[in-house]
Amino acid sequence: MHARRSRFLILSALIALATIIATRWWTPAILHGQQNEQLPAILVTRQLAAVEGLRIGDVVTLAARPDGSSAKQFRIAGIYEPVADPTRLAAKRFEARLHLPDMLELKADAADPQSTESVSAINVTLTDPQDATSFVREAAAAIPIPQLTVRTAQGGDGSARLFVVLDRFHFAIAVVTVVASTMFLLALMVMLVEERRESVGILRLIGLRKGRILLQVFAEGLLIAVAGAAFGIVFAVTMQGVVNVFFQWRYDTSLIFVRITPHVAMRCILLAVPLGVVASLISSWTLLRSNVLDLARR
Amino acid sequence: MSPLAFALRGIVRQPGRAILGIAGIAATGALLFDMLMLSQGLVISMERLLAGVGFDIRVTATQASPMAGPAIPNATGAVAVLEKVPGVEHVVPIRVGQALVDIDNHSDQVTFMGANAAAHGPWTLVEGREVRPEDSANPPGVIVNRNLANRHGLAVGGNLTLRGDCIDNSSVPPTVFRVEGIADFPFDQSLQLTAVTTLRSFAHACGDVNADEADMLMLASSPGADPAVVVEAIRGVRPDLTAVTNEELVARFQQVEFSYFRQISFVLATITMFFGLLLITVLLSVSTNQRLGEIAALRALGFSRARMVSDVLWRSTLLVGTGGLIALPLGVVLATWLDRLLQTMPGIPANLRFFVFAPRTLVVYVALLTVTTAVAAIYPMQTVARLPISSTLRSEVIG
Repeated sequence: MHARRSRFLILSALIALATIIATRWWTPAILHGQQNEQLPAILVTRQLAAVEGLRIGDVVTLAARPDGSSAKQFRIAGIYEPVADPTRLAAKRFEARLHLPDMLELKADAADPQSTESVSAINVTLTDPQDATSFVREAAAAIPIPQLTVRTAQGGDGSARLFVVLDRFHFAIAVVTVVASTMFLLALMVMLVEERRESVGILRLIGLRKGRILLQVFAEGLLIAVAGAAFGIVFAVTMQGVVNVFFQWRYDTSLIFVRITPHVAMRCILLAVPLGVVASLISSWTLLRSNVLDLARR
Repeated sequence: MSPLAFALRGIVRQPGRAILGIAGIAATGALLFDMLMLSQGLVISMERLLAGVGFDIRVTATQASPMAGPAIPNATGAVAVLEKVPGVEHVVPIRVGQALVDIDNHSDQVTFMGANAAAHGPWTLVEGREVRPEDSANPPGVIVNRNLANRHGLAVGGNLTLRGDCIDNSSVPPTVFRVEGIADFPFDQSLQLTAVTTLRSFAHACGDVNADEADMLMLASSPGADPAVVVEAIRGVRPDLTAVTNEELVARFQQVEFSYFRQISFVLATITMFFGLLLITVLLSVSTNQRLGEIAALRALGFSRARMVSDVLWRSTLLVGTGGLIALPLGVVLATWLDRLLQTMPGIPANLRFFVFAPRTLVVYVALLTVTTAVAAIYPMQTVARLPISSTLRSEVIG
């Protein structure tokens, strides 16, 4: 009984001691946490958090001036993936999002009374996104501020032009590749047809007309072209994942670099199949014009 | 007959397929040559542009790219400190803003700069004279680029009215400037309008109260001084500023800004190489297979195995060599076209080139074609080397 009581007392003392120690240790931490909770919240990009080793709940100091004056403390409330922007592909996305009043306070300039009253842009979400163009027209006419520009959020003229130029560049490369491929294709078809010289001669000798043989060549060319185009598309679809993974890793972005859409696949088929068929017909036509006995080597 | 002459006759005997094969190799080679030029083109071009400016060190407030970060406060003090650094010849503080100029009843945006250049600024004067910081003429002097001079019909001695548009939420009265010179600015875009004046006049035109600021300090090191050593000295006296040499700037651009074109050129060059290799291998293999009877007959007549194998290698060399040679002028024409196309990208200086020829490009191109020639010939050479003479003759002749 006495021993049990002693154990109970020792256990109670240990619990009390632990409670005191925990209270001593945790109280400042809790208070500190509560103080942090008072700080304005910000979000930082995944890239910034990774480089600086930031975690949710950390307190960071931000200043709008390079000398660090007028710096303010903020609490990291979250880490976000920035919206992928192709025009800033190579830029390190070290960014933070602040509540607008916090941002205005941080950037306040005593010499410019309007600095806490102005914003760079106002984003508007429409009930029906299809109305964007008409809204832009009406808003531009209705708001009498000369420096105000109203535009749809489909990217500025600059970014649009950038991608038009890149699109043209890739198209030009594609044209050169197609020209080179066509040359090789023709050379290969000429050789393949040459290999069948005797077979064609014998077919002519047993009475098949040129048109009939040409039809057979056309069917063969079509089959080869369709099979080649299909293989090419399957290969491209497989490779697009590899290319995307590589470039997303290389640029630390969620952008999609290659996307084989049905439209792209259709364009490839419409280019490759007629090209293959025409190549086989052209190469065969020269053979069919030859003398039958020459073809049969007799 | 030498193996080369023998291979040449063999190719000439079938001109159609030879021409098509060479044309295909020429087109592929031109693309490969262009991709090799593109891989280093922007870097070489940027190096040349930076070197042509005459300033080899840039100092900014932070590590952000020049003009992309905050301004340097107390620019006069910074210039005074940096001018005393050993190896520094002269320092030009620069501020960059925007201004509006009225042309044909509409306003055009002008890249408006303020720079205190005691000797010369980072531009090439083509007419007139420099604007000195000590000038106190009224109206103040300005140097304009050719685009602005042509569009506004400006000549040296004429007047130009600019409305500073440098600070948000501010509206300043227009300032009349006297055109003192017309200059080429190396980093101007093709249609860019540019004007530069002194820092004081810039601040006046912009209605700027923080006049003693600079977006960037451009430094020219003394002849014989190593810019890297000067940069180290600058870091010692002003550790709060960021100083970079032209080489460091190019390296930074190479890693970040230009990496897309380096990557795309690498990917396209690899695909082109693989594509070319595959097709040349197929051409040579099919061609060799068609000549098996002929090869067996020549072997039976006493031609050695090595001789017939070398014939295949020579054919490969002739096809790839001829196509590769034709590819060079073709590649230059194609590069000129592609360069013009890419030049229309927004934000690209008119003098920056994407495709630049360098001797190294030619060396790499020849090396890659040599590898292609050798690798493409391996399989057909093996076929020829292992060809059984009697059975081949039997199957080819009797059938």
